[in-house]
Amino acid sequence: MDQNKQGEAAEGGNIGHPAHGKNQEEQSNPMIAPTNPPKKKSLEEQLNDFWAAQREEAKMTTNFKTHSLPLSRIKKIIKTDKDVKMISAETPVVFAKACEMFIKELTIRAWANTEARKGKILSQRDLVSAISQTASFDFLDDIMPKDAGLPRTSIASTENAYLNMPPQQNVAGLPYDAPTMAFPNLNHHAPN
Amino acid sequence: MADSDNDSGGAHNGGKGSEMSPREQDRFLPIANVSRIMKKALPANAKISKDAKETVQECVSEFISFITGEASDKCQREKRKTINGDDLLWAMTTLGFEDYVEPLKGYLQRFREMEGEKTVAARDKDAPPLTNATNSAYESANYAAAAAVPGGIMMHQGHVYGSAGFHQVAGGAIKGGPAYPGPGSNAGRPR
Repeated sequence: MDQNKQGEAAEGGNIGHPAHGKNQEEQSNPMIAPTNPPKKKSLEEQLNDFWAAQREEAKMTTNFKTHSLPLSRIKKIIKTDKDVKMISAETPVVFAKACEMFIKELTIRAWANTEARKGKILSQRDLVSAISQTASFDFLDDIMPKDAGLPRTSIASTENAYLNMPPQQNVAGLPYDAPTMAFPNLNHHAPN
Repeated sequence: MADSDNDSGGAHNGGKGSEMSPREQDRFLPIANVSRIMKKALPANAKISKDAKETVQECVSEFISFITGEASDKCQREKRKTINGDDLLWAMTTLGFEDYVEPLKGYLQRFREMEGEKTVAARDKDAPPLTNATNSAYESANYAAAAAVPGGIMMHQGHVYGSAGFHQVAGGAIKGGPAYPGPGSNAGRPR
């Protein structure tokens, strides 16, 4: 499928220039059947590229005045824990970087689910699936909606997908979301 | 398909602001910042639904609380009052985020080097000084590090996180109380 054509926009240059599965799929076709294994392998390679890029990026930082996330807000969130008394100046700075990596890792994993169901829009259920598939994200189970994104219930899943997407995107996404009815099994296999 | 025209909240807090009380907003990072970071991790033509952005907002706050809780517990066991960067790295290792630690070590080292240079140059107008007693070790380390950089701030310009147009970026602009001394405060505030 060529749906996943990667744009080379300079503005949003992808970290580590991950293959996004397309190249990997082409390479894997002769060796492995086009099922989950290539996706998983692709995702692992994407994440390896991602972490390698993070290690390099962290070394080159010279400006700590501008962050991708506001330090004041991070500090307020830290302070919601009443047991926390004092934090050093470096604590929100470390979190700004850590949260950026967390958001990117979560997004990469969720997008793999979007691709697996041939979707075009990353939606909440893709996040729910990614979280359920990743051990280090277990702490998020409590805040995840239990009904949305459950792959076993295909009808409920489809309905929730429509409800969760903005109206305009929902219309645009209709042709691509329809096949999801055929993919509940795929999603069901993924967690195993 | 054309480039992404995601429904990203135009204002810094996007639609979230109109739906939540001011205090509620403070529980999450701004949806615009979260959305921007998500897009960096995706192909250019990818779209992100509003509910996905909001879900990630919640996940990030949970992540911060999760790591902070573990770091705080460690400090209490060790009879220390102040959580520092190393406590966070330890907590992440303990809680299954080993991949994060190596990049953050480099990042934290760079930050401390910059802090050391600022201290030497008496330019602490932007970043709060490390005034707590438990951070004296880091100050010593920073001085040592600063000695290795006689030319001052290195000009190797790598990737600068976030754009200069951020309105939300206000490191140290808001004084959060005694636990986080403001930029102008050099006095220790033990509690």
